[in-house]
Amino acid sequence: MKFILMMGMKTDKESMSKLIMTWPKEDIQAHIGFMIGLNKELKEAGELVSAEGLAWPDQAKLVRAGKDGTPITDGVFPEAKEFLIGYWIIDVDNAERAYQVAARASAAPGPGGAPLNMPIEVRQIMSGPPEEVQ
Amino acid sequence: MKYILMMTATKADCEWYAKWPKEILQANFAFMRDFSKELKDSGVFVATEGLTFPDQAKIVRSGSDGTPITDGVFPEAKEFLMGYWIVDVESPDQAYRIAARASEAPGPEHPNGKRLSIEVREIMSGPPEEFA
Repeated sequence: MKFILMMGMKTDKESMSKLIMTWPKEDIQAHIGFMIGLNKELKEAGELVSAEGLAWPDQAKLVRAGKDGTPITDGVFPEAKEFLIGYWIIDVDNAERAYQVAARASAAPGPGGAPLNMPIEVRQIMSGPPEEVQ
Repeated sequence: MKYILMMTATKADCEWYAKWPKEILQANFAFMRDFSKELKDSGVFVATEGLTFPDQAKIVRSGSDGTPITDGVFPEAKEFLMGYWIVDVESPDQAYRIAARASEAPGPEHPNGKRLSIEVREIMSGPPEEFA
């Protein structure tokens, strides 16, 4: 079963004041070191399908087609929006294992090396559209 | 440059999707299949995935002993990721053009007149060198 583990962030003032770039360099290194270690572990266990980090929300654009199909881009998002900043896709035996991995990621070290306990959203990946509408 | 093209929806949007007539769903899936094929044929395709509906989403945190604490309660306004494409393109404009195409996927008129918008963001290749 494939699951996606998503890390998000908000862009209100308080969240923006705690961005990783504001941490001491050693703490940033410890955080990134943890993530690299976790990815290596998942890869060795044969569970890692992919992992990506996204550019910061200030680079996000909303795109839709205009009348003639040309893109209309917009950079204005609702204040409360939660932006995806990175994810893992893992292939595991059951949902419990996915939650375990998410809990590990959640405890990634933050400022002073303390676990962040950040929320990780976990959802199963669909293998394809339902058969009756294919 | 790799870009991610994301489709999102609230729980209310998902309840609306669940009521689409079968023909429209079929047209939508056919569009999506052709769209993926087009991306593959033009050599920009990296990956695409569809996610299960938000009623299956869990928020997971680490408890003090490292065991997972799961919670299924989300704000009504939350935009859930429903699916995405990753494309490898020459410029952001090319990514926007592809996103505009995806936004034209067929569907019934949204009750609030909402148009399908695709959020586009670059994928980072890795942590900045000084921290790697």
